Amino acid sequence: MLPRLFFRFPSVILPCLLAALSLPAAAQEITLGASVQLTGPVANTGRYYRDAYQIAVEKINAAGGVKIGAQQYKLALKLYDNQSDVNLSVRQYTQLVSQDKVQLLLGPFASNFALADSAVSEKYKVPMVQGGGASDQIFSRKFKYIFGTLAPASNYFGSTIDMLKALKPAPKSVALLYADDAFDVSVAEGTRPKLKQAGLPIALDERYSTNATDFNSLLSQIKSKNIEAVLVAGHETEILNFVRQAKSLAVAPKMYSFTVGVPSEDFRHALGADADYAFGMTAWLPSAAQKDRWFGDAAQFASEYKQKYGYDPDYHAASGVADVEALVQAMETAGSMEPQKVRDALAKLKFDSLYGPVAFGANGQIDLPQVVIQVQGDGLAEIYGANGFVKQPKYPMPAWNAR
Amino acid sequence: MELLAQILANGILLGGLYAVMALGLALVWGVLNIVNLAHGAFIMLGAYASWHLYTYLGIDPFLGLPLTALLLFALGYALQRGLLNLVVRAPMFNTLLITFGLEVVLTYLAQLAFSADFRTINPPYAGSNVQFGGVVLPLVRLAAFGVAIVLTVGMWLFLLHTRLGRAIRATAQNLLAARLYGVEPRHLYAVTFGLGLALAGAAGGLYGTVSQINPYIGASLTAKSFAIAIIGGLDNPLGVIVGGLFLGIVESLTTLYIGPTFADVASFGILVLVLIVRPSGLLGRTA
Repeated sequence: MLPRLFFRFPSVILPCLLAALSLPAAAQEITLGASVQLTGPVANTGRYYRDAYQIAVEKINAAGGVKIGAQQYKLALKLYDNQSDVNLSVRQYTQLVSQDKVQLLLGPFASNFALADSAVSEKYKVPMVQGGGASDQIFSRKFKYIFGTLAPASNYFGSTIDMLKALKPAPKSVALLYADDAFDVSVAEGTRPKLKQAGLPIALDERYSTNATDFNSLLSQIKSKNIEAVLVAGHETEILNFVRQAKSLAVAPKMYSFTVGVPSEDFRHALGADADYAFGMTAWLPSAAQKDRWFGDAAQFASEYKQKYGYDPDYHAASGVADVEALVQAMETAGSMEPQKVRDALAKLKFDSLYGPVAFGANGQIDLPQVVIQVQGDGLAEIYGANGFVKQPKYPMPAWNAR
Repeated sequence: MELLAQILANGILLGGLYAVMALGLALVWGVLNIVNLAHGAFIMLGAYASWHLYTYLGIDPFLGLPLTALLLFALGYALQRGLLNLVVRAPMFNTLLITFGLEVVLTYLAQLAFSADFRTINPPYAGSNVQFGGVVLPLVRLAAFGVAIVLTVGMWLFLLHTRLGRAIRATAQNLLAARLYGVEPRHLYAVTFGLGLALAGAAGGLYGTVSQINPYIGASLTAKSFAIAIIGGLDNPLGVIVGGLFLGIVESLTTLYIGPTFADVASFGILVLVLIVRPSGLLGRTA
């Protein structure tokens, strides 16, 4: 027994020595953990979060890191790929907290993920700031450790409906189509009363299966009922199919608007000229008016991001950066990286960022107005904001053969 | 009334696309007794092949179909000789495992190679349509439907009237007897699997023209093809057409009258019904 122990001596003592040596260095680092969709059906949007977290952490570290009391700490990032699988992401968050012992959590993409993963942060009492889930469901459970930087799903179409009322002539009937997941159901539930209030009759109100590929029947109904405005809450793949099939069936309502896709470069690229006239919304545009402590302003951030990753950031990316910044600001005001203290600081937090003013309501969610945007020709135009029209919309949309 | 006519037309055209997707799966299943769970992944590969041919070489997606089919035939032949022949007479479970593994590998290789970005094959005529009365028929779907009919009838004639086709059927019916007549099963199996993949490739090209391509479209396409193959029966390529059309029409009508979320309930409900009432498919031989 004894000789064997001696034999093993180097292999036992070496790691201990190394651990002892690296201990002071490890204490200088604060690790943020997240599980995001790097592969699987939503990898396309998931990458925004990986890229946003990385660029934010690098930028903050380059500026000296996080200052807690008199000491400077560097940020580190621990990322897992959840393969677009909700159950896997819950397991990974559990692992991040219980085994990897990360200090604080950043979120995944998409409401159904945030909805499930926030149960982990709540259970372990580790605050999670997430910029990927907008569903009101996430914030209606009186959870204390979940904070969100996406504007509430229920209000995604709010500014669009204000715009519809202001259009001349205003559309006479509206179709509301939505996928059957946490985010899109919240959007629909918020949109219905707003349409009613605005006096816009809902002529078609249908829920469809996530990942549906065939919209021909719905489009045929839109045509046969002569519906003038179509609001779709869904995922990019569905919306791509929707637009392509609308063209092939010659269905051209006066306007259509989509909760996702329109702000993203990849989406517009995939549709080419057929993306023209599509409305969407965003809570973020890369404007130089939005100042930021680390990036200067939103415009500088956008160009730096594009240079680094080769594609334009959209609101998902900006929201992801705001999440990292919120955690850093909260640690600095709390003067601590203890989860409980950071949580309390987050609840009271107020700061300006490239993403806009960040402050969380009592339920943990940010409140940002959505700006209506439209694809016009090759670019995106800002159409309607809090103060009314910014730019004239292309309305009504011409028939497909008249483009 | 016009709406109903339009919905029926939508359903029939959708059914044509479904039929091409399922044809290859049904062939491989019927002859080799391999339920190819990677079938949808091969459709995805076919779609990417078509996309590359169109985007970089400017080859029209319909004219490029034979080329795509040829590429996938070669891939299928090689895969069968090198990999699947190992399990061709193994229990069903092993073939399921190996094709499932293939599906996973192909999907993730596709993401590595092509990224998760969406692609569409968008030739200038992609959005055009023809009108009959008040019914609008999208040109691309109409063409896809035509291709589906041609491929299915072609496959049917091939199996009935050519030497190779007869050999394939003979092997499926009675391997021992076929060997006694000089059929070389290894080559024949590889040809059959190649044909199945060629059909998947063609389906992929059509799919990319009417829908969108990303590495993850495969799994749901496999499920749909599986349902169509069961509903139509494996004995006869014409059964696949019937299964595809039936499913397309049922889904369209369900969306109209009950709601879009019930389309899948309807199609898989019918699958269960068919399994109970006519286990060998609508056009299958009754035992």
